[in-house]
Amino acid sequence: MNVLENIGRLGVKTVKSFLDTISFAFKVICRMFQYRSYNSAMRMVLINQIYFTSVQILPVFLIVSIVLGSLLIGIAFQLLKQLGLTDYFGNVLMGLIVTELSPFFTVLFITLRSASAINTEMAVMKVNGEMKTLETFRIDVINYLLLPRIINGVISLVLLSSLFSIVLMVSGILFSWLIFGMSTDVYINILLNSAKFFDMVIALIKCAVFGFFITLIPIRFGLRASREFTSIPIAVSGGMVNVFTAIIIIEVLSFLIKLF
Amino acid sequence: MSRDLKVGLFIVGTTIIILAALLYLANEKGLFANTYVFTLSSKSGDGLTEGMPVVFSGFDIGKVSTLELNDKGMVLIKIKIAQRHVKWIKADSAFILYRPLIGAARIVVTTNNLNSPPLPEDKIVAMETVNDINDAIKKVQPLLEKITQIAENLERLSNNLSDPKGDLNRILSNAQIITKTLSSKKSFLEMAVADEESVQSIYEALKKVKDIVTKIDKMADKMDKQLYGKEGTLPNINQILKDIAGKLQKLDKTVDNINKISTDTSDGMKDFRMLRSDIDDTVNAIDDVAKKLDDLISSKKDPEFKLP
Repeated sequence: MNVLENIGRLGVKTVKSFLDTISFAFKVICRMFQYRSYNSAMRMVLINQIYFTSVQILPVFLIVSIVLGSLLIGIAFQLLKQLGLTDYFGNVLMGLIVTELSPFFTVLFITLRSASAINTEMAVMKVNGEMKTLETFRIDVINYLLLPRIINGVISLVLLSSLFSIVLMVSGILFSWLIFGMSTDVYINILLNSAKFFDMVIALIKCAVFGFFITLIPIRFGLRASREFTSIPIAVSGGMVNVFTAIIIIEVLSFLIKLF
Repeated sequence: MSRDLKVGLFIVGTTIIILAALLYLANEKGLFANTYVFTLSSKSGDGLTEGMPVVFSGFDIGKVSTLELNDKGMVLIKIKIAQRHVKWIKADSAFILYRPLIGAARIVVTTNNLNSPPLPEDKIVAMETVNDINDAIKKVQPLLEKITQIAENLERLSNNLSDPKGDLNRILSNAQIITKTLSSKKSFLEMAVADEESVQSIYEALKKVKDIVTKIDKMADKMDKQLYGKEGTLPNINQILKDIAGKLQKLDKTVDNINKISTDTSDGMKDFRMLRSDIDDTVNAIDDVAKKLDDLISSKKDPEFKLP
């Protein structure tokens, strides 16, 4: 009976946590569309967040994109050539690398660098009682702390993922010439033939959803920390595990949407 | 450069790049271009899907917009072709549903004569189907049958090999016996007849045959001398034949004379025939005279003649 009770308790806890996250997400989305949320303090925090998440890491991100993208394209093209599936390299490039792997690598990159930082920042602020202080000064925590970070997540993910895709496609010109002896015109034509407008829109929406949840979940788990310092690692590890679970769920959902 | 400017540049720059890429894609995909709709017909809708690409010379020029089933049970396929690609669709264009073994199905347009008139939008063109999967199965079927046969033969062979009473094992055991026998005998002959006395007899018989051959050889020498020697039989026969030839030459002249005589006699016989016919005529005339005389005598009362 104890085992069943434990399973039941865990199930209830998981469902409650999921519903809490959804309701919190709904609350944040509502705030996003309210004009008064965008006050000068919030805008300043938003600019700082975008700077730290996207602009500051842009050189490193571009270098990683070029190296990783070239590696991916090189391996994929070489494999296609060996299998005699040269005709399908456009579909592989657009359907797999640009619309699937590019958002995935970007979200991993941002999660490892920024989501973990946000989670820790929130947990430390909670432990230090900064949240209470903000509330005492009647500063809206959601508008001042959460909304800029979540909007930053959405903007950064969409823009960086698109940059990653563009870098991939540009490096594809070089690899298609090296491996297949293909001219730029033919390469662009194949890309255009393989590109599907609907898939690209889905990929952009997926990036936005990724950005939303990889910042929302760490914030949620950071705010769950107690007044003790030992609760910080627990909050961070729990938040990160849930972020990766959310990434997988979003990937599966986007795949299902494309499938049907 | 301030932090605000950097962030602004990043957001605006990246957004412009993304929008430009999307606009270029939309434009190249013909999202803003006019489209022409053509109708194809097919007996079956198998492998057809909405959004399926329409390809000309390997390039996407349009896509299947709708699929309908008409009152006659035919599938009507409406394809949308962008304005800039409509020049490839002509009245004699062929539309083939190509279903490759690997990859997505597509409608392939082939136009042999690009100078032919354009295809009217209201005309319904029959579509053909090329199915790589079925073709491959057809090609592979005989191959599979052969492979099955080979496998059966291999199975039979392996069964035969594993069977102690099988052909191969019997051959091997026989070969073993032969090699064993060969190793214990002095020669192949002894192994073949399996008896040493018989081998001795064969040797003796062979010696006798050799003696006989030597004697026959000597006899042949003597015969040669008797036949072809200076006073042998053949030179004498040659002399006799020469004499006979000389005499025959002489006889030839005699035969010629006889021939001439017989020719003359033949000519004389022709004169004889003429003489005989004259004699026959004379006898006939006398006979006629006698008949007339007889008539005259029988017509008189006193049949009496007074001869002069």
